[in-house]
Amino acid sequence: MERVKTGIPGLDEMLQGGFLPQTANLIEGAPGTGKTTLGMQFIYHGIVACGEPGLILTFEEFPQQYYNDATNFGWDFRQMEREGKLRIVMTSPEVSKADLEAVGGRIEGLIQETGAKRVLVDSISHFERLSEEPTQLRSIIHSFVNALKREGLTTVLTRESIALLGDSEGTDDALAFLVDTYILLRYVEIESAIRKALLVLKMRGSNHDRGIRQFEITSRGIDVRAPFEGREGIMSGSPRRMVDSFVQAFVRR
Amino acid sequence: MEEKMNEKELDLTGRLMADMDPGLLDFLQTKVNSFVKWDLVRFFHDNPHTTDTADNIARYAGRSIDTIRTELADLTRDGVLEENQLGEMTVYSLAPDPHTRNLLEQFVRASDDRQFRVKAIYHIIRGTRQ
Repeated sequence: MERVKTGIPGLDEMLQGGFLPQTANLIEGAPGTGKTTLGMQFIYHGIVACGEPGLILTFEEFPQQYYNDATNFGWDFRQMEREGKLRIVMTSPEVSKADLEAVGGRIEGLIQETGAKRVLVDSISHFERLSEEPTQLRSIIHSFVNALKREGLTTVLTRESIALLGDSEGTDDALAFLVDTYILLRYVEIESAIRKALLVLKMRGSNHDRGIRQFEITSRGIDVRAPFEGREGIMSGSPRRMVDSFVQAFVRR
Repeated sequence: MEEKMNEKELDLTGRLMADMDPGLLDFLQTKVNSFVKWDLVRFFHDNPHTTDTADNIARYAGRSIDTIRTELADLTRDGVLEENQLGEMTVYSLAPDPHTRNLLEQFVRASDDRQFRVKAIYHIIRGTRQ
């Protein structure tokens, strides 16, 4: 089956080649884990390696912030905008949703003008202010995600997680049901140092690597590396060595 | 005495504006004649694809909604912005007119020059006092 490559070393292998076309793919993580970087790399790779123009819908950061961040990785987003291969749109959830629902809206116009195939929505967390009622919020996000699929886009949605280490409490999992792929980015404390872990929790319609991998943000973007070995409880944020768990479970009884 | 001061001031204005591009001068005098409008046109220049409500634009610009409402209406009347209905929301975006966009580009580029900024600020202060 055709795949939409992220261009992130290690991640595409975990996804059996990449995302499925015209799907919504959620990246969730604490501040600084690399959600936006992963999304920008997905957009950048589409433009330079796959000939697929991209769109970034931002609900918080100004386009200038993306230009600056991209420059740090050697990605010239400003030039890509000049060449009509990228559009960075600062907007709000309520306006972008209404715009996509309307016939011949501005976002639809930008998609047609550029021929965009990929979109980064940064971040879907901002939709939470549109409704406090979970069922209604789910319906709002469902409609938004479907509108992006209707436009033929493969979407990366970022979502903020409050907890810096371990599981985030109080996260509404309705979104997890709506998306096709659910990727978690986590901080992990190992021997008094913070490392980063990536897990593909769900991938609808495809097999995927279920391992918990280490990753780094390098000068060229995200690099997903080998799985954590000899440790358990990685996603708790404070993993233990498996040998310690074994001793605790059997030897000391 | 006061008359003499005004004459002196007019002379200074004349000298300050003399070497300004006539197109830019007109843009400054008729469209960007307040600091809030300056902020708003700069915002739309940097975010040319933004379409949003007055409330959200106020938030992006770090101004209160009461401060920007009239200014958005003026910029719309003067053809710099465009006002549309999106469902129940009134939204603003940059007008597509290439001539206006070109003037805006020139204005923002010129604003990067300190000399130009001094002249523009002087003009706006004078304009608000009149």
